[in-house]
Amino acid sequence: MKKRKNPKTEGLKVDRGSAGKKNKRAFKGKLISWGYLFPSLAGVLLFFVLPFFVVIYYSMVDNPINNQFVFLDNFVKVATNKAFQQAAYNTMKFSAVAVPLAVILSLLLAMMLECKIPFRSQFRTFFLSPMMVPVASVILIWQVLFHYNGIVNDFTGLFGADKVDWLKSSHAQVVIVILFLWKNLGYNMILFMAALSSIPKDILEVAVLESATPLQIFWHIKIRYLSSTILFVTIMSLINSFKVFREIYLLTGNYPYDSIYMMQHFMNNAFGQLDYQKLSAAAIMMSMVMVILIGILFLTENYFGKDVEG
Amino acid sequence: MKRYRKRILAVLLIGTMVLSLAGCNRSSSDAGNQVKKDFYYVPEYHDLELASDYIGETAVVGNTLYLYGSSWNEETGESINSMYQYDFLSGQSSELPVDFDGNDSVQQMCEDSEGNIVMIMSRYAPSVLEDAAGTEDADQQDDDSTGAEDNDEADETSGESVALSKKTVAGSVISEEDAADEGTYEAVEYTSYIELWKINSEDGSTIVKTDIKPVFEDADNAYVQYMTIDNEDNVYLSDGNSNIYVLDKDGNKICTISVENWVENLFATKEGKVFMRTWGNNGMAVKPVDIQKKSLGEDVTSENLNGNGNSYNQNYYKGLEKGILGSDNNGVFIYDFETDVREDLFSWLDADINSDEVSEIGQLSDGRIWAILRDYSEEKTKYSLVYLTKTPASEVPQKEELLFGTMWLNQNVRKSIIDFNKSNAKYHISVKEYSTDDYMTGLTQFNNDITSGNGPDIIDISDIDYKQYVSKGVLENLYPYMEKDGINKEDYLMNVLKAYEVDGKLYGIVPQFYITTTIAKASKVGDTPGWTLNEMLDFVEHSEAENIFQYGSRESIFYYCIYNNIDEFIDWETGECRFNGDDFIRVLEFANKFPEEIDYNSDEGISSKLRSDKVLLMQTSISSVQEYQMMNGLFGEKTTYIGYPNSERKGNLIQPTNGSVALNAKSKNKDGAWEFIKILLSDDYQNSLVSEWGSSWGFPLKKSALDKQFEKDMTPEYYEDENGNQVEQMKTSWGYDDFNMDIYAATQEEIDAVKEIITSAEKTSGSVNEELTNIITEETGAFFKGQKSAKDTADIIQNRIQIYVKENS
Repeated sequence: MKKRKNPKTEGLKVDRGSAGKKNKRAFKGKLISWGYLFPSLAGVLLFFVLPFFVVIYYSMVDNPINNQFVFLDNFVKVATNKAFQQAAYNTMKFSAVAVPLAVILSLLLAMMLECKIPFRSQFRTFFLSPMMVPVASVILIWQVLFHYNGIVNDFTGLFGADKVDWLKSSHAQVVIVILFLWKNLGYNMILFMAALSSIPKDILEVAVLESATPLQIFWHIKIRYLSSTILFVTIMSLINSFKVFREIYLLTGNYPYDSIYMMQHFMNNAFGQLDYQKLSAAAIMMSMVMVILIGILFLTENYFGKDVEG
Repeated sequence: MKRYRKRILAVLLIGTMVLSLAGCNRSSSDAGNQVKKDFYYVPEYHDLELASDYIGETAVVGNTLYLYGSSWNEETGESINSMYQYDFLSGQSSELPVDFDGNDSVQQMCEDSEGNIVMIMSRYAPSVLEDAAGTEDADQQDDDSTGAEDNDEADETSGESVALSKKTVAGSVISEEDAADEGTYEAVEYTSYIELWKINSEDGSTIVKTDIKPVFEDADNAYVQYMTIDNEDNVYLSDGNSNIYVLDKDGNKICTISVENWVENLFATKEGKVFMRTWGNNGMAVKPVDIQKKSLGEDVTSENLNGNGNSYNQNYYKGLEKGILGSDNNGVFIYDFETDVREDLFSWLDADINSDEVSEIGQLSDGRIWAILRDYSEEKTKYSLVYLTKTPASEVPQKEELLFGTMWLNQNVRKSIIDFNKSNAKYHISVKEYSTDDYMTGLTQFNNDITSGNGPDIIDISDIDYKQYVSKGVLENLYPYMEKDGINKEDYLMNVLKAYEVDGKLYGIVPQFYITTTIAKASKVGDTPGWTLNEMLDFVEHSEAENIFQYGSRESIFYYCIYNNIDEFIDWETGECRFNGDDFIRVLEFANKFPEEIDYNSDEGISSKLRSDKVLLMQTSISSVQEYQMMNGLFGEKTTYIGYPNSERKGNLIQPTNGSVALNAKSKNKDGAWEFIKILLSDDYQNSLVSEWGSSWGFPLKKSALDKQFEKDMTPEYYEDENGNQVEQMKTSWGYDDFNMDIYAATQEEIDAVKEIITSAEKTSGSVNEELTNIITEETGAFFKGQKSAKDTADIIQNRIQIYVKENS
C-alpha cells in the first residue's frame, strides 16, 4: 500500500533538517571560538582570576599556616593601622594633586603644540623623551639633583639659601609630583594631540564663522570631543599615580619620609614581613577604591560626552 | 598532507605543553620533604687495627690499600714510622718492611702505573750547634709582655714561650729542650731533606731514592702538600705556594709551572690528565696542567665539578672507570671531564657518616666506595674503614623521614644528627642547608618554605627572626612535649629557657650558649650587672679615658649604645617612638666625640690600656669559667659584667654556641622531630658538653651538667716535685692581645660570679630588625660627617622609623 505524502509533514521535515544543520554549525562555531579563546581564557583564569580569589581567601584567614577563618578581622586590623591610614591619605593626596595636573598640563601642552609654533616637533620629542629613559636612570638623575649634597642645593646655596633635604622633608611630595609629571606629561600630550587632530574641522570652521570665541570653541566643542580621551588619560594617570611607588622606592627605600609613604610601600613591606593577610586585605581595599573611582570617571564621561559619541 | 600539517603541529604543541606540565609536577614533588631514593649506599664498618697512633697518607694498588702510619716514642724522642698493607678482599692487614728512619716522615704518597708506591719523604738530620745564643730575643720579648706586671706566673709563662719561639735561624730549625730552669741549654740544629722514594709495593724494597730539595723555590721551608702522578708516571708536586713542580719518574725535574694564586689541590683523572685547583676570579677554579706547554689550560668552570657555594673540603681521586671520584662535605660524586657529567653517588649524611671525619676515599672494582674515618672525640684518634655498598631502596629498612632546615649546618649539630640517625630505628633526619652565594636568596627561600607550610620539621632558628614565625603560628610550644616526657624544666637554666619564651610558651631550645657582654672594673661601676643608657653615658662622660673601647669608632660606639637597647626608644604597644627625644640626641652627640676611623696601629695592648684607665670597657663574650679568670687578670682587678646598656638593666645576652632548634607546628611528624630535640636536652648530650679542659665554647643548658663543669673547673691539678710533694699546677693558659695568664683551679667565689653572670642573662642577642638599622645607618652617615645637626638627623630617623613602628604595632 502506497503511503500518501503529506506536503505539510514533508515541508516540516525539510525545515527541521536545515535547522539541525544550522544548530550543528552554530555549535561547531561556538566550539571553535571557545577553542581559540581557551588559551587566553586559561591564562586570565590562572594568572588573574585565581590569584584574586587566593588573595580574597588570604584576607580572611589568620595566616597561611593555620588557615583559621577570621572573616573581616584582617580588614579591621588594616583599616585601623596607622601606617595604612597614612599610606592611604598620602596616596589619595598625591593622586588628587598629580592626576589633575597631569591631565591639565598635558592638555595645555597639546593645545600649545597644535598651534603653529616654531620647533614644534623638537618640543614634542623633548616632552616624550622621559618615557624612553629607564626608571633606574631617572632615579639616578633625580638623586643627583635632589640629594642633600645634590645640584639643586648647590645651586640654591649660591644665593645663600640653606640646604634642604628634599627627599626627607615635607618637600618630598613636591619632588615626587614633579618627577611624576616629568615622566607622564609627554605620553598624555601625544594622546591629546591625536584626539585634537580628530575633531571634525567643519564644526570648528562653522563655529569660527558663527563668531564663537576661542574659549567657547574650546569649552563647547573641543572638550566635548576630547571627553573620552580625557577619561582615558585620567584613568591612565590615576593608575600611574599608584605606580609612582616604584620611583619612590628606588629613591628612598622601604621606609621613606612619611609624606611619600604610599599604599604600595605598605603592601610591599607587608610582603617582606610575610604578612600575607595584611597585604591581601590592603590590596582588596585598594582595588575596591580603584573600582569606585574608575566607575565615577565612567559616569562623568558618559554624562559629558554622550552627545558627541552618539 | 597540507591540511594535516596544522593538526600535527597542534598535537605536537599540546604534547609539549603536557610534558612541560609533567616536568613541573616532578620538580614540585622533589621539593617536598619526603624524597624517596631508588638506591642507598649502606655503610659497613671495619676497625683499622694498626699499631700506629696516627694514620697519614694512603695509596691503592689493585685491591690493596697502603697506609703510612706513625707513633711518637716518648723514650727515644723519635717517631716510629710504618707502612701497612690492607687487603680489601680478605680484610687482613700486615706491615710492609720499608727502610724508615726515626726522623723520616711521609709528606705525600701515591701509586704509579707500575704498581709501585711513590712517596715524598721529609727527613731531619740533627747536628749540635756550637753557640746557643738567643737570650737577647727572650729579654726583648719579656719587655714586650706588658700588662701582666702584677702576675708573676704570667711573666714566667711569657718568658718560656719566648724561649721556645726563637727557633728559626736562616732556614734551619733549632729545637731546645726544656732548659729554662738551668738558664743554659744545648741547642740542636736540624737540617731538612726532601726526597722522592719509589718502593716496591710487594716487598717494600727501595727502587728509587732521590734528593729533590733543590727543585723547590724555598727549599728550606718546602712542605709538599699536594702530589699526583700522570699515566706516564711523571710526578706533580706543590708546596701550597704558587708553583707546580713536575718531575719525571726518576725524580728529575721536568719543569716548574707558576700559578697566579696558591695551589689548593692537584689531582689526576682516570684518563691520565692532571688538574690543579686554585682560587680564580669567580671562586674556586680547576685548570688542566700542561707539561708540554709548561703552563695551565683554560678554567673548567662547570658547577658540576665545582659544586655550589655550600661545598667545601673538596678532594678528588682518580676515577674507577672515568674522570674522577670526588668528595666534599656534602657527599661523593663521579665527574667526567670529557662530557661534563656529574653523577652524585650519595650524601654523607644519608650514609650516616660525618663528613668532618672522612680522611680518604676510593672506589673498589666491584663499585663499593671505601673511606677512612678519623674520630677525634676520644683521647686517642680512632681510625675505621667503612665500605659503602649501593643497595636498592627495597632492601634497606625504610625509616620515617624528617627534615632539618638551617642556613648553615653547624658541625656539632651535624654530629648530633648522625648520632641520631645511627641510633634511632624509626626516624631518619635529612638536612637542607638554605645558604647560597647570596645570603638573602637563601633566607628568602627558607622563609618561603616555612610560610607556605612546606617548612622543615626541625628548624634551626639561630640565623632567623624566630619571633616573626611565632606570631604566625609556625613554631610549636615545646613545654607540653617536655612535660609529656617527664622532662622537668626546673632542671634547666630557667633564664635561658625564658629568653626563648613568648607569652609563657617555649619556642626554641639552645643546648649550649655563651654570654655576650661588656666588662668594666668593679671599682668604677659597682658590683651589680646592668645599667641604663644614661647611666652608661654619665659614667663615660665623667671619666677622662681616651676611648670607651680599644677600637671604638663613632659608628661602633653609637651602635653599642642603641643596638641592644632599641626598645628604649620604641613603644611597640602604643606605636610611638622617641628618636627625636633628648636621650637619642645625646647618644648621637656622645658618639660623635669619638674618632671617625679606628686606629689599629696602637702599640699599646688592651690590658695595659684598661689598667691605666685609657680604655674603660671591653665588649666580649664569656663561655667558660677560665675566660672569667682570664678577664679578671686582664683588668688587673675585680671586674663586673655590666652588659650592654638596657632600659631594664638586662644587658647580658644569650648567644647559642651550636645553633638553637625549634619544632615546626605544621610538621607531619612532630613526635619524630621532638625525639631529636629531646636528645639535645638529655643527660648524655648535656654531659658531653662538659669540657675536660675547661672550655667547649659554651655553657650547657642543664643545671646538673653546668655543675659538673664547675666541679671540673674547681678541681686542682697537681704534679709531684722532686721532694715527692704534691704541688698545684696550672690547668691551662689563656691569652688575649698583650696578656697571657696561667689558669689554676677556680675558687668558689669565681664560680659564684660566673653563675651570677649566667643567671643575669635574660635576653637573646641581636634581635634588632635590619630595616631599623638600615634607616639609622643611612641617616647617621651625614651627621657623623658633620653635614647635619643631631636634631635634624634625629627628626628624620624619628619620621622614618615611626612608619615602621606604625606598620608593626
